[in-house]
Amino acid sequence: MLEVKNLTKIYSDGTVALKNVSFTVQDGEFLVVIGLSGSGKSTLLRCINRLIDPTEGDILWNGVNTTTAGTKELRVIRRKIGMVFQHFNLVKRSSVMTNVLCGRLGYVSPAATLIGRFSRQDTERAYRAMDMVGIRDQAKKRADELSGGQQQRVGIARALMQEPEMILADEPVASLDPVLAHTILGYIEKINQQTGVTVLCSLHYLDLVQRYATRVIGLKAGEIVYEGTKNDILNMTDTQFKEIYGEEAQRVGTGSITGGTQL
Amino acid sequence: MNTHPSVRVLPPPAAGLLSLIFPGLGQLCTGAVRKGLLISTSFLTLTALGLWRVSVLAHRETGWIDKLQKALSRQPGFMMLVILLFAAVWLTSIWDAYFLAQKRKKDRSAKGRNIIFALILTHFFVIGWQIAEIDLVKMVQKFPDTIPPLLKILMPWEAAIHRDRIEVDAKARILVDSEGEIPPVPEMIEGQPYIQVEPRTGKLSRMDSQGNIVEGTAVTIEGSGYAPLTEVQIFWNDAVGNAFRPRIDGTYAGTMTDAKGSFSYRMTMPYRLVPPSADGPQYHTVEGRQLQGMGSPKPSEPLVLTVQLIIETIFMGMMATLFGIIFSIPISFLAARNLMFGSLWSKILYYITRTILNIIRAIEPLIWALIAVVWVGLGPFAGILALTIHTIAALGKLYSEAIENIDPGQIEAVQATGATKLQTIIHAVIPQMIPPFVSFTIYRWDINVRMSTVIGMVGGGGIGFLLVQYIRLLDYRSAGIAVWFIAITVSILDYVSAEIRNKFI
Repeated sequence: MLEVKNLTKIYSDGTVALKNVSFTVQDGEFLVVIGLSGSGKSTLLRCINRLIDPTEGDILWNGVNTTTAGTKELRVIRRKIGMVFQHFNLVKRSSVMTNVLCGRLGYVSPAATLIGRFSRQDTERAYRAMDMVGIRDQAKKRADELSGGQQQRVGIARALMQEPEMILADEPVASLDPVLAHTILGYIEKINQQTGVTVLCSLHYLDLVQRYATRVIGLKAGEIVYEGTKNDILNMTDTQFKEIYGEEAQRVGTGSITGGTQL
Repeated sequence: MNTHPSVRVLPPPAAGLLSLIFPGLGQLCTGAVRKGLLISTSFLTLTALGLWRVSVLAHRETGWIDKLQKALSRQPGFMMLVILLFAAVWLTSIWDAYFLAQKRKKDRSAKGRNIIFALILTHFFVIGWQIAEIDLVKMVQKFPDTIPPLLKILMPWEAAIHRDRIEVDAKARILVDSEGEIPPVPEMIEGQPYIQVEPRTGKLSRMDSQGNIVEGTAVTIEGSGYAPLTEVQIFWNDAVGNAFRPRIDGTYAGTMTDAKGSFSYRMTMPYRLVPPSADGPQYHTVEGRQLQGMGSPKPSEPLVLTVQLIIETIFMGMMATLFGIIFSIPISFLAARNLMFGSLWSKILYYITRTILNIIRAIEPLIWALIAVVWVGLGPFAGILALTIHTIAALGKLYSEAIENIDPGQIEAVQATGATKLQTIIHAVIPQMIPPFVSFTIYRWDINVRMSTVIGMVGGGGIGFLLVQYIRLLDYRSAGIAVWFIAITVSILDYVSAEIRNKFI
């Protein structure tokens, strides 16, 4: 269980990214965070695995306070939290295999990585992870030779290598076309349903939110302005919608959301 | 913008008049400040340059009118063109100011025409042509002069091989201008060259009392046992053993052997004073000398030196690159914006580092070499020092830009897996750094080897030193060998470095 309590983040330039944010995520949930660009979604996700240090507040994960964790504790926490990024963030010049194996770094000793070797078990695990997202035949290719969709699959495989208990997905499909978006979210959903991994995912399109989320929180200017269950989202009104996405927001087509300057 | 018809601007005739007083003034007062200033300063510069060139052309004359006349008579084409353009720029600026003012009456921000800048630019180029002393006629006329040295440089290979030579000779005695026993025909020795002269007695050429030459006896020299198809030089030894080489009609006596190594040569006996004190029979000796190539062809000294020095050159480039890498890596971190913009002090350090790197880079390696020669003396070390200094600055900048271009996302992703700092560096930072580092380093090595071919010209060791010496000695063939080796080395290096870089990018 993840408990976020009174989380506040103020950047050194004075920007207030998160204001007193509190919420709880039960194990196995698929929680979607919605909100405009700059509403604090990315900051929130990065505070959870401490890629960004929060200014105030606590984050309790399975009872452990991550905000006060030391280097060693943090390593143990991070290796159980997989992360998927909007721009995939693969090490572009390394092979797909190496990228996937990187997911194992939290488990292997730094001395072993100096020699650059991973164990046979890790290699086999990597092949299984690649099988899961259907990129086994790309293993030898350089990461930047792959298409966007394939790169994001590598990103997911890398997260899988961590044997995660939670996956943080920061707009995982914002750089992909709608068809690919469903494929990628499908993989994440499959992991969520088959292994019970908790998922925290930020998304932009309402139809994707309606299709995948089991629960939704809406952020606006660093504050939670909406919280709802799957049913709530399916019946979401324009008023609630505007509250999250601002006055200029409107439904597009079958239910995408645009927020003025966004998209 | 505002388009009030009632905007107050200078009336067009006034603008034109102002530009008549001084080009650009009209535009300036019409509100086109930058244009006006540009025209004025250009006009001032062009005037100053023009006057300077006139006084250079007529440096002995005193008055300006005299100077102008002299300059006109020396280079009428150039002077006419300059005066014409001078007038054209002036007139155009008047017309332009008038036109602009008229337009601005309607629209405050109207743009004028830019024909005047084309004229100004042309004017600069005309003066530039004269300052640079460009002389196409000379270039075409004198071109044939370059052909002989050029051919030697392009085809230097006969200077690349060398054969040791040995001189062989055979002698035959002859009785001259005196009575006595006629010397016998020389004995033939197996395996050695042999000559005989017929007749074995005769008279030398001499001068009569009027100073006319009276030709001596014609003799036939028959030789055999020489190297085939090679020159044989005829020498003459007088009674006291002084050898000299007679000339017939201005050319030295001598001939070529036939395919069997024999020859037959006919000449009149040379002029030689017989000292009055000499008495008794006077025996002279006719000698047939030949220079024979001995042993197999060997590389010549220029070739050996060139090879040695091209190796030195390549290693100079390598060593300079190595030292450059060692020093520029730590420096590059100080010059990377993304690392140094944390605190005020690091920011200051960043600007200091950048400034120093820029200054060092602005000074060419050749100039550094001149300083290095004073420092460590002539030789390759001075060259290495100079190249190292320049390499540190150049690579420091390139490396720091590679560091600035690191993708933080990749680092973030690896950190998120629970990787330690060391693991993050190994798996996310280094993979991003290696390609640009390798690429820049190879590129720099390439430059350094090319630079070290010329750095010797100022005493920095390497092949440049040799090349300059050969050129100064007018030994174009040896210089040609050096040029060829430089060309071959640099092209191989170009190819190799391009290949390596392609592998890494």
